[in-house]
Amino acid sequence: MSQILNSLSQLYLPGALALWCALFFALASIWGYSLVLRGDASSLTFARRSYNFFALSILLASLMLGLLLLMRDFRVEYVFQYSGMDLPAHYQFAAFWAGQKGSFLIWLFWGTALGLGIKRAAGKAEPGVMGIYTLTLLGLLFILVRENPFVMLRETPADGQGLNPLLQDNWMVIHPPIMFIGYAAAAIPFAFAMASLWRREYDGWAARAFPWALGGFLVLGSAILLGGYWAYETLGWGGYWGWDPVENASLIPWIFGTVLIHGLYMERTRGRYRRANYVLAALTYMSVLYGTFLTRSGVLADFSVHSFVDLGISGWLVALMGTFAALSVYLLATRLREVPTAPNEDPFFSRGTFLVLSTITLTVSAVVILAGTSAPLLTRFMENPGQVGPEFYNRVNMPIALLIALLLAFVPYLTWKGEPPREVLRKMAWPFGFSLALTIIAAVWRVHDVFHLLFILLASLALASNAQKTLSKLRTGGMRTAGGYLAHVGVGVMLLGFISSSAYDQSSKVLLEQGVPRKVEDMTLTFTRFIPRDGREKERLEIAVEREGRDTFMVYPKLFVNDRTKQVMANPDIKSSPFEDFYVSPIDYDPGQPRLQLAKGESGSIGGMEVRFTDFDLEVDGVNAMTAAAAGRPMTLGANVVLTRNGQAINLKPLYRLNPATGAVETPPVQIPGGGALFVSGINASTGAIQLEVTGFDIRPKLSIDVTRKPLIQLVWFGLYVVLAGGILATISRIRQMRTLENLPP
Amino acid sequence: MNGKKKRFYVLGGVLLLAFAGFSLASFKETLTPYVSYEQARDVNRMVQVAGALDKGSSSYKNENESLYFTLKDPESQELLRVRYKGLKPANFEDAISIVAIGRYDAGTQEFEANKLLVKCPSKYQGAEVKTYS
Repeated sequence: MSQILNSLSQLYLPGALALWCALFFALASIWGYSLVLRGDASSLTFARRSYNFFALSILLASLMLGLLLLMRDFRVEYVFQYSGMDLPAHYQFAAFWAGQKGSFLIWLFWGTALGLGIKRAAGKAEPGVMGIYTLTLLGLLFILVRENPFVMLRETPADGQGLNPLLQDNWMVIHPPIMFIGYAAAAIPFAFAMASLWRREYDGWAARAFPWALGGFLVLGSAILLGGYWAYETLGWGGYWGWDPVENASLIPWIFGTVLIHGLYMERTRGRYRRANYVLAALTYMSVLYGTFLTRSGVLADFSVHSFVDLGISGWLVALMGTFAALSVYLLATRLREVPTAPNEDPFFSRGTFLVLSTITLTVSAVVILAGTSAPLLTRFMENPGQVGPEFYNRVNMPIALLIALLLAFVPYLTWKGEPPREVLRKMAWPFGFSLALTIIAAVWRVHDVFHLLFILLASLALASNAQKTLSKLRTGGMRTAGGYLAHVGVGVMLLGFISSSAYDQSSKVLLEQGVPRKVEDMTLTFTRFIPRDGREKERLEIAVEREGRDTFMVYPKLFVNDRTKQVMANPDIKSSPFEDFYVSPIDYDPGQPRLQLAKGESGSIGGMEVRFTDFDLEVDGVNAMTAAAAGRPMTLGANVVLTRNGQAINLKPLYRLNPATGAVETPPVQIPGGGALFVSGINASTGAIQLEVTGFDIRPKLSIDVTRKPLIQLVWFGLYVVLAGGILATISRIRQMRTLENLPP
Repeated sequence: MNGKKKRFYVLGGVLLLAFAGFSLASFKETLTPYVSYEQARDVNRMVQVAGALDKGSSSYKNENESLYFTLKDPESQELLRVRYKGLKPANFEDAISIVAIGRYDAGTQEFEANKLLVKCPSKYQGAEVKTYS
């Protein structure tokens, strides 16, 4: 009993209470819906109200955590761990999703909010759908109650530990919450599908789940776009995509979600894919859970490549995955055979076949990425577990992208009934002309790799044929049905952007001395000055870039030390022009001091020479320094130093004289052959290290940077925008269709 | 099922199998296992080794634009000399752990890294790693 009271006193009670209430109401709601399913229609009101109270409790808990953060109440451990006095309000609020506990809460918050909409839109499927959907939320809630964000410290610290400097960025305010809407939305088609199987009501779920699946696809896609932009623009990782496990954890559900919306399209228009769609809905949701498990359970932490910390929730995550996997497998195994489905009567050269092929290809891509991301797990039981790098993903996705582009190019002109290939090709005369012209231009520019040329040919063919179809749809007023084609235009654009920006980028690491121009290809770079910190504006480095025969401009990458962590942070600067991005990422800045500290046996570089400190000479002029020091007499130490200048080794012995009586220190400089002098400017008696200083050298501040030119990278962003715009059109049209369905008599 | 359809399925199956084989081969080829220094010296393939920076062992040579340093295994105290063609990454000297991805060069008896992952001391969770390639 006292133990319980003790643990209670360590909780911020209003917040914890809200979570417990949420748990209670969630269970009540599931119970209520299960009563309805068993035929007790009168329980529906109870179930709905319980759900509303569940959502309200989560809203209150979220508001409280947000408020505690904004009030900087460091008594609460979570607030203490992820925020601090130095943070402006918007970062202070963004600390909400900086840690595990808070991100589960925001996930749950969006989940409950979406549930309110599903409750209204599910129609007569409501009891089953909401029952299963609330069950998925309950799983998250269990984790949250176990890993309570409202744990309090015994005393109130004056300041928090601050927010990870990498996360102090405007993208941090917007990217994670959107990502969690996408995660939350992945459970919706799953709930519709599983409820449909459970109730053996195989019709109608596809129409109801379709707009939700599209919405989830849109949101997750936007979140991935923002994340990519964050990595590219601020984090200085050099690219928008690194095939990092965290990135893959959001990409895999997105690909499965893409397959699902195409499957639902097949079901709605042709009555095919009815069984596959159940599997796809399950895969989409399971991949969200699996990705969460991979990145949050600490299973990758053994590899010490990414520090995902195990907070003791891996067991819960495994249980969560196991529960829903078991539920899906059970329902699929027992019901799938009963699902009526239209036989495949589509001829080969028809839209149906091409859609099936694209879904298979995309599924293969998702599976391969999944396998790559799981490499540390898959190889865990081998002698030396390992991981695969970006090379793996790029290599295996190359043929997949080629095939997808090929299929996409034909889809707009294929009909369900099928047409003679010659007829289809005749309609595609314009797109063929366009893509051939583009490929020739690329070959003239500098693409000489046959695979890359094929890639450009197919991607631009997909772009052009879908663009032609979109335009003709728009002209005939079929705006609503143009969404899919428009999205495919975007895919073509993105594919072109991928190949140009990743296979044809040119990167070089350059060391610049202040004021000394350096030529890199057709540009001249000059590091002009270091601009100190000014208010919230961090330390910047000014680099003048002169492009031969074109223009001169300045770039200002940032390199600064975070006050709290003493960690060096770098922000790149990008100069965008229509055809390429000029990307400058700082690596290291050396303020150019003529000093150097060396321990015994260590070597370093100063003034363009290599310096090695071998040891001390304690017997200068035949007097032992130790004996002299012990007797309180003036002592002299010699430092044996080997200089390497122009490949020639020079032995020097600068002296360090100390008179213990007066405390006077003398360090006469020794001349270096070839100019300049060297002297000992300090000794660290406890570590036996010395500080050497040179005079007569022109030592300038040095800046090392990574300069990259990324041709046509804008196509990646632009293409994804077009995909999302197409998705919005499709969502609107599917919402309308769902409404008409609901108006039909049951 | 008519003959044409059958052929189509067989072709699809063959293509899928071929791709599975290609993926597996790529997986095996690009897999960089974590190995001990001793193993790194023996196998002639891409591997990754981890360790702490042996303090004061790093130096930058201008003539081949490479960074030289020694990694120390925190458990066995074994040492491995590493050569990395590139500039010294930020926070390098303060790193608690460095992961080098590359292969051992028996000629120079150095581990030739083409990628370094620098892990900084920090209380934070989340990605603390910067990759240099």
